[in-house]
Amino acid sequence: MTHRVLGILDRGYRGAVESQFFDPLYGFLDMREQLGAVDIVLRGLAVTMAVAEDAYTPSLDLGPVRLTTLPDYRRVIADMVAEGMDVTADEPDLRALGFTAADLLPGVSCMDTNGIARKWTDYDRVWFV
Amino acid sequence: MALATKRWDLLLIMTAPPHYADTFTTVLRLADAVLRRDGSARVWACGYSTMLTQDTHGETKPTNTRAPDVDHPSSASIVRDLISGHGGRFGWIGCTACSDERGATNHIGEVLLRSPGRLMATMSTSAKTIFIGGA
Repeated sequence: MTHRVLGILDRGYRGAVESQFFDPLYGFLDMREQLGAVDIVLRGLAVTMAVAEDAYTPSLDLGPVRLTTLPDYRRVIADMVAEGMDVTADEPDLRALGFTAADLLPGVSCMDTNGIARKWTDYDRVWFV
Repeated sequence: MALATKRWDLLLIMTAPPHYADTFTTVLRLADAVLRRDGSARVWACGYSTMLTQDTHGETKPTNTRAPDVDHPSSASIVRDLISGHGGRFGWIGCTACSDERGATNHIGEVLLRSPGRLMATMSTSAKTIFIGGA
């Protein structure tokens, strides 16, 4: 039996240096097979993880230590879309940060908070992660 | 004759937990900004940030199943390399009370363990102190 899981992320940026890849997005990708169908909702500051930009590189130069394995949230969101997961950004939260649906990565949708809440019944489980 | 007390340009007291926000990253960047100007900086790690320098982390994080050939350095190895790479200008202190409270008592050898009873004395050896995060 396939479960349908909706994962809601309302907080991003959980430790770039110490977490690197090991964050909730990785968890959903890594456990997707056992979870079944997974869709993602981004809220709060986490909506920016789906905002397209081309200046960021996942590296940090600390003198004798150069880290090249920092998280690349936008690439992970693009991977999720490519694997068929629905990724939706909360429209009011996106707007509050000065962005619109046109700023989102290809394939990421944008929906009003109430519209997102009405979709909950489409899922077997709704997880706040 | 007593040794002269070493002076530091910056002390960063970090009480926020790791894996929750980007405080650890911010602390490293603040220290780096001072070190790049030939200054000195040390970090006092309190609360769950004492987990960052546990020897049990090893050199690398668990395997990234989506990039299994890439080594991801552990926080402990990053701190160790920053200490060894700065010739005494970068230091890391682990709070003994917070370490004991959390069972995080296997710090890498480069970490200086210090009782919270010496917090003010430690601050007095630093030109500036930034208290960052929340316990």
